[in-house]
Amino acid sequence: MSSSFGRNGHLSRRALLAGAGGALAATTLPACSGASGASTLTMHQSKPEAISYFSQLAEDFSQSQSSYRVQHDIATNLSASFVRNNPPDLGCLNYNLEMGRFMERGALADLADLPAASTIREDVQDLTSWYATYEDRTSVIPYSVTAASVIYNRRIFDEHGLEVPTTWEEFVGVCETLKAADVIPIYSTFLDPWTIAQGLFDYTVGGMVDVRAFYEDLHELGEDVGPDSEVSFQRTLLEPVERMIELVQYTNPDASNRGYGDGNTAMAQEKAAMYFQGPWAFGEIEKSGEELDLGTFPLPMTDDPADLKVRVNIDLSLWVPEAASEPTGAREFLQYLMQPSVQNPYNEKFLAFGTTKNAPAVTDDRIAEMQTFYDDGRFYMGASQFIPKSIPAQNYIQSIVGGADPERTLARMDADWARLAFRE
Amino acid sequence: MTTSPATETTTADEPRRSSRSSRPVRRSRGKVGRERVNRPATALLAVGSLAVLVPLFVTVNMSLKTTAQAVDGNAFSIPSPFTLSSFVEAWNLTNFPRGFAVSIFITAIAVVGEIVISALAAFAIVRNWDRRAFRWSFFYLLAAMFIPFPVVALPQIQLTGMLGLDNPLGVAILHIAFALAFNTMLFTAFLRTIPLELEESMRMDGAGTWGVFWRLILPLLAPMCATVGIFAFIQSWNDFMMPSLIISDPDLQTIPVLQNMFQTQFSNNYNIAFASYLMAMAPAVIVYLFAQRWVMSGLTQGAVK
Repeated sequence: MSSSFGRNGHLSRRALLAGAGGALAATTLPACSGASGASTLTMHQSKPEAISYFSQLAEDFSQSQSSYRVQHDIATNLSASFVRNNPPDLGCLNYNLEMGRFMERGALADLADLPAASTIREDVQDLTSWYATYEDRTSVIPYSVTAASVIYNRRIFDEHGLEVPTTWEEFVGVCETLKAADVIPIYSTFLDPWTIAQGLFDYTVGGMVDVRAFYEDLHELGEDVGPDSEVSFQRTLLEPVERMIELVQYTNPDASNRGYGDGNTAMAQEKAAMYFQGPWAFGEIEKSGEELDLGTFPLPMTDDPADLKVRVNIDLSLWVPEAASEPTGAREFLQYLMQPSVQNPYNEKFLAFGTTKNAPAVTDDRIAEMQTFYDDGRFYMGASQFIPKSIPAQNYIQSIVGGADPERTLARMDADWARLAFRE
Repeated sequence: MTTSPATETTTADEPRRSSRSSRPVRRSRGKVGRERVNRPATALLAVGSLAVLVPLFVTVNMSLKTTAQAVDGNAFSIPSPFTLSSFVEAWNLTNFPRGFAVSIFITAIAVVGEIVISALAAFAIVRNWDRRAFRWSFFYLLAAMFIPFPVVALPQIQLTGMLGLDNPLGVAILHIAFALAFNTMLFTAFLRTIPLELEESMRMDGAGTWGVFWRLILPLLAPMCATVGIFAFIQSWNDFMMPSLIISDPDLQTIPVLQNMFQTQFSNNYNIAFASYLMAMAPAVIVYLFAQRWVMSGLTQGAVK
């Protein structure tokens, strides 16, 4: 059997046994963290595109001082590590409803005293409190924000003499013109439910409804959400959802069997004029190597251009768990990552917006049009992001674009919401 | 069996001679090239084999493409230019040698452990069937078949964490424990067909229980060991959930878990992902090619003269 182990395998097996022994010793001596010299600091970061980028940063930090060596964790299951009570020392992840649960239970340490915390724009920091909060803590430091809106092909717009629309009517006009010219106005990928929720649903809802107030009311109502409550999916969201259905006629006829990957390919091949996706899609579209002139504009949902808003989400946030074994090192590394010379290049490279008060404006032509909206705080977070996973909202939305009755489907979401609130 | 296709095969005289002499006695030799071709069945099998070959072709094909070509929407187009860079990148991104070594470590322990421990348990249970404690312990083990890992995942994470087993060794032990029920059932069923007389004769010659097990029972169980071993190999090699939840040190993570990074909601790296899958598949395919022969032949072997 030993022949099946290569040189690497052999070394690794030794390391494993040593590790197993060490772990056993650690159970008997819980306070002692052994190793001599630099202690190990775990950073959890698993956004795939950025893995090699952050590996380099971890390496750089490890070299810049002698107390800590950063271990870049891309694979450990986060919930399991919290259950086991050995979470990573520093988290660098997308902040969402699931992460908010750790916050809600007070599992994340307060970072308000860090100098980096005070450099964050207030309205950006405030985005974290859309989710659960705990004792007024500032535990989550937004590292980068991605803004999503309608991606459009400037060449196709120019070819048909179209301007970027700023009202709902203009937008429908653009779609009509394109349709009349036999160009697919909007490329949709209904096969992947998240793309509908992220695009059509969030843009239409966010453009018409105050998302934060809506969910605050829903939480307050709890199990009373229903056909008669003042705020509900079936009442508040019906109008935007009906407009969403109106837009379905402008999408590609084969949308129901096209996935996210197909959408990116189609946009790279200029098969459609518009695409309801976030900046993450640019990286995928780019892979084809085509020369494209793409831009972005917020989906206008009202008659007033002043209502225009873009959808944002906290692409990466930094946090330190209460149970971190190296909190001091984690804070040091956090400060290192927050230096403008480290943070700004990340945002530039991954088409995200900076979160600090003096972050430079984005320069990439594809997202530059969203800068003013971001600067003015004219943004919202996606409505689909605030529905717990136990409610299959994405699938409900998928069935609506597939032809299900919107009123009944939204009523079902209300019933689910009420049931969930009752259970909790 | 008619003679018509015989003429189209290469040798006319040789098979005829051998078939005449061998057919009544043994059926295995001399049949080559003499059977009538069952064309409808062959056609069906050929179509059926496409179900395996087409995805395999796409996998190999994609892994040799450049990123730009991998996203052009044509899975079947021939890669131009041919590139092995995906393999290099997959190798580096997953730190392949290390992940591979960890996977082999877990798999080796799981395979050997499952065979030995389940066989020991089955031997003890079958030979002591008249005692209540052993009978009940068998039912107790069988009951565990109804508890899948996800149900007890959370307590397992806590337990392994407390015991310092949140590492590949812990995963291997859990594999052994979770497979114990099914494997013991397989072994007990097989052990019942081995006559007690064999064992008694060995005891007459002075062998103890331990000697009987290692030198008589375990060799006789070989075919079943092969079956259990193959199941153990495939399960532990391909497992995603258990290592992802149990192993706490990212440097000791297995290949399937590391490969998870290639495909997420927002991005696809088809060429790199497929290159990585191919590298991870290789041992499973090789083991299957060699081991399936044992299972096929082994299951027909009898213990009695």
